[in-house]
Amino acid sequence: MSDPAVEVKLEVKLEVKQASKEVKESENVAEKYSAMTVSKNSEMNIGDLSSAFSAVPTHKPVKKQIQFVEDKQEFSRFPTKAGRRSLSRSISQSSTDSYGSAASYTDSSDDETSPRDKTQVNSKGSSDFCVKNIKQAEFGRREIEIAEQDMTALISLRKRAQSEKPLAGAKIVGCTHITAQTAVLIETLVALGAQCRWTACNIYSTQNEVAAALSETGVAVFAWKGESENDFWWCIDRCVNNEGWQPNMILDDGGDLTHWMYKKYPNVFKKIRGIVEESVTGVHRLYQLSKAGKLCVPAMNVNDSVTKQKFDNLYCCRESILDGLKRTTDVMFGGKQVVICGYGEVGKGCCAALKALGSVVSITEIDPICALQACMDGFRVVKLNEVIRQVDVIITCTGNKNVVTRDQLDRMKNGSIVCNMGHSNTEIDVASLRTPELTWERVRSQVDHVIWPDGKRVILLAEGRLLNLSCSTVPTFVLSITATTQALALIELYNAPDGRYKQDVYLLPKKMDEYVASLHLTTFDAHLTELSDDQAKYLGLNKNGPFKPNYYRY
Amino acid sequence: MAEEIDQTLPLPDEYPEPCEDVVNGDEEEENNKDQSVKCSPNLLQMLKAAESRRTPQSWDRDREEASGTEETEAQKTDMHERAAVQSYCSQCESRSASMKKVYSLVNITKAKDQEAVQSICIKQIQFNDQKHEFNKRPANTGRRSLSRSISQSSTDSYSSACSESSEDESSPRDKLQATSKGLSDFCIKNIQQTEFGRREITIAEQEMPALMILRKRAGGEKPLAGAKVMGCTHITPQTAVLMETLSRLGAQCRWAACNIFSTQNAVAAALAEGGISVFAWKGESEDDFWWCIDRCVGAESWQPNMILDDGGDLTHWIQKKYPSIFKKLKGIVEESVTGIYRLYQLSKAGRLCVPAMNVNDSVTKQKFDNLYCCKESVLDGLKRTTDVMFGGKQVVVCGYGEVGKGCCAALKALGAVVNVTEADPICALQACMDGFRVIKLGEVVRQVDMVITCTGNKNVVGREHMDRMKNGCIVCNMGHSNTEIDLVSLRTAELRWERVRPQVDHVIWPDGRRIVLLAEGRLLNLSCSTVPSFVLSITATTQALALIELYSAPEGRYKQDVYLLPKKMDEYVASLHLPTFDAHLTELTDEQGKYLGISKHGPYKPNYYRY
Repeated sequence: MSDPAVEVKLEVKLEVKQASKEVKESENVAEKYSAMTVSKNSEMNIGDLSSAFSAVPTHKPVKKQIQFVEDKQEFSRFPTKAGRRSLSRSISQSSTDSYGSAASYTDSSDDETSPRDKTQVNSKGSSDFCVKNIKQAEFGRREIEIAEQDMTALISLRKRAQSEKPLAGAKIVGCTHITAQTAVLIETLVALGAQCRWTACNIYSTQNEVAAALSETGVAVFAWKGESENDFWWCIDRCVNNEGWQPNMILDDGGDLTHWMYKKYPNVFKKIRGIVEESVTGVHRLYQLSKAGKLCVPAMNVNDSVTKQKFDNLYCCRESILDGLKRTTDVMFGGKQVVICGYGEVGKGCCAALKALGSVVSITEIDPICALQACMDGFRVVKLNEVIRQVDVIITCTGNKNVVTRDQLDRMKNGSIVCNMGHSNTEIDVASLRTPELTWERVRSQVDHVIWPDGKRVILLAEGRLLNLSCSTVPTFVLSITATTQALALIELYNAPDGRYKQDVYLLPKKMDEYVASLHLTTFDAHLTELSDDQAKYLGLNKNGPFKPNYYRY
Repeated sequence: MAEEIDQTLPLPDEYPEPCEDVVNGDEEEENNKDQSVKCSPNLLQMLKAAESRRTPQSWDRDREEASGTEETEAQKTDMHERAAVQSYCSQCESRSASMKKVYSLVNITKAKDQEAVQSICIKQIQFNDQKHEFNKRPANTGRRSLSRSISQSSTDSYSSACSESSEDESSPRDKLQATSKGLSDFCIKNIQQTEFGRREITIAEQEMPALMILRKRAGGEKPLAGAKVMGCTHITPQTAVLMETLSRLGAQCRWAACNIFSTQNAVAAALAEGGISVFAWKGESEDDFWWCIDRCVGAESWQPNMILDDGGDLTHWIQKKYPSIFKKLKGIVEESVTGIYRLYQLSKAGRLCVPAMNVNDSVTKQKFDNLYCCKESVLDGLKRTTDVMFGGKQVVVCGYGEVGKGCCAALKALGAVVNVTEADPICALQACMDGFRVIKLGEVVRQVDMVITCTGNKNVVGREHMDRMKNGCIVCNMGHSNTEIDLVSLRTAELRWERVRPQVDHVIWPDGRRIVLLAEGRLLNLSCSTVPSFVLSITATTQALALIELYSAPEGRYKQDVYLLPKKMDEYVASLHLPTFDAHLTELTDEQGKYLGISKHGPYKPNYYRY
């Protein structure tokens, strides 16, 4: 893996890819990552990416170490942001754009003035928005149109519900990542009759040109890439606090908007008809609010819907594990000894993908039920210590901490790969590797060689952060499922007769879940069988669903 | 083959129509006139056995039922269906004394000889009688026993030798027997078969490592010391291992059979010799059945304080006849869907005065009964009956629930081209993501080589589909009862039925085109394949742990209600089965446990976790 030829090739690739961008730009990308993953090590990216351009590999470790300290301080300066976890998937949207979209072209403008100080007007004369540069609207429109291709569910929702305008009168204030995919969601809401004001839930994830395109069409967007903490709250406030316009629905990702409204505008908050929240953190906050008896409006938890869960975990990880490993290491999987720590949904996905490519997969598990499932699915269940000397790849997805310890890393063989698909960056004990006797060498973006005194190298990917977040993309199809669920949740909350939803946190009704799934079936040209009246009666079901009891495990 | 063809000759014309009869309660009643008393044992057995195998697909709905929702038509049909299946078996049995029959019944394979085929004929003739029997005992019809329990008999039919072929026709009730130690508190066919039964039990022990580990782990402390367990289950080598485990853990056991035909006499003898009071033999009459249960309960100076039941008969009997004993019970462990349904009803009516444990709905058991078990048995069943090759075959699997997922995975692994039909969009999306095409049956029916139903629905494959199938297409059912394939529509004058092997019918269209119908649309894995001991082991271990939990729980943990097995127990059952795979479980460090906010020893997952 440490073949210098490969390294050179990579650097060339990187240079080619980003030739048209400025170095500062690339730092932006890196910064974005670091901010979003909220990992203490994220600053490594910056040093690394810029060093990739400098093309002087020997300087990397030095440079990195120098920057390390500075970044640390930066980081601790914004404690509130550091504490905020945004949803794993939402983050990945930005990883998508960093790879796929040309977003950065437009970002590389030299305009350093804050959008707050600029007065911009869209072609219709409205200036009720605040984005980086309204002139980028056309480019953003193209991005949105591309995303629409893969989000057929929302498009068909527009068609199906357009005549009824189920959201007529809804005034939705939203706080999500602002990407081409969410733009499709926002425009769908508008098409269904809603008025929308939007802000970003992350200071780095906004695609400026998409924000511009949205503003151009009349959605009041307050967001740009690289907001300060202060900007962040200013945007939220501008979004909510608009004369003559009171929101009656909230679409939130992370709970910041909900929190702000609850604190600053309790009167407006009380009159809200419903909150739709999609992130784990936000949902957690809502449950706490509800427990404390302070939640005075109904809220919908779309994070735990079946479709979203399965896609976020099983299917998404099944694809991204291979993608992430290939992009970073170009490893071949056939015949490789792989250990996967944890056999939950993520682990099941990883195992299936690797097995399909001919890897020899072993599992470590603590839960005997999952372990038994692994056995029945044909995987050996081992303790990591028993096999550590032989393995080529270790993938952690337990949600636990220190699953792979220094002790185990010491015993790994030369060239073995260690990466994490699980929860944050705690699973691999990276801190224990930062000792003087070990040399770190950044060979590619997101790839470190950790070199033992005897010359043994262990390849650490993404510094132990989530591999699929850092090194692979998330398909629009997955985002489409989330977005569709959000749209349906809004419609459900807005149209529900009084009294159906009390002041509590609800799960999306199963029927909605099924509807989300059915909207995505067209992509596969799947033809759903319909129950005959007779059959429905026999099963005691409604012909149109819901088809399964709530406890069904799928 | 020639032999088989000969045998098929008498069949086609007066082929019975179990489907109609079974589905239609009214028709059954019309037939009531000439029922004969001597048939009754068959009936009982038929009921019992009928219940004994739950269709995987219907689990969910059963749970619903258990939790008090209305019984759907599907469920009702299910019971009838099982009755029919069993009637088939029981008929065969009653006709032939030899155990070979059992084999042919439970497990009819092409290897089965004339007898099997005869038994089929017999079935046809007797079918009516049985029907009335069925109606006569409504209480029993409602009763279903555990899905897997039936499988015990299928297992034993394979493994056990001809212990039953003795010529002794006198009823065990009239005989006085004593063990080598002079005990005579039991009633079985022949105590002399002990040695043979012991060997059977020893073999079963090999395949039930979990119980053996349990013996070792708990052996020192006797967690069941003082427990007086009354059991009513199938009496097979597998349950014998369970009973002896309970004894080893300190319990005193008295046992009766929950099915009049499933008892293996040799095993019963071995148990009796070992000091467990067993009252059971193969081929009890209905009267014998209740007599055995009563003898089991009604011992002087011995009052049961725990019940292990399969089907709810024993519970029912004690509640009715010995209410004072019932009140003093420490707990009931029930494993069949029917039994649990009864318990929930009792509980609803406020008449359940002891805690009861529902071991049927544990995660391990459910997953094994559905996903893993069907994954294996669909291939087994199809191979045994048709010797078909799967590679490249176009297969349609109707339904993508647990059973469907298992079938699809197995078939895909052998290179079949698998399509799925689904009504539920979520399951359909799963099928898509797993790489299966989701289609409507009508769209592809002309091209397919195999149709496998597992929807839990009725008339999924209709005559209009079968009319368009190509020659040689195989149609079978892995799902719910025998309603999924519309058999009634095939019983028309222009179609000719030809029985080519046991469980295999060719239905021949006027133009000479044939479709191959397996097990007459009944459950393929019930009729044509076996259930591994490993699956039974999971059930038995769960039962043992449930008994221990109920018995040793501190006062007040369990009220007078029906409980699910605690997740921790579920996890323990799974962990006991891991050594079979030489699986090494990782242990949490204290620090990790704290980080996750869970105990080092479990439970590891919240209750809503989907696995």
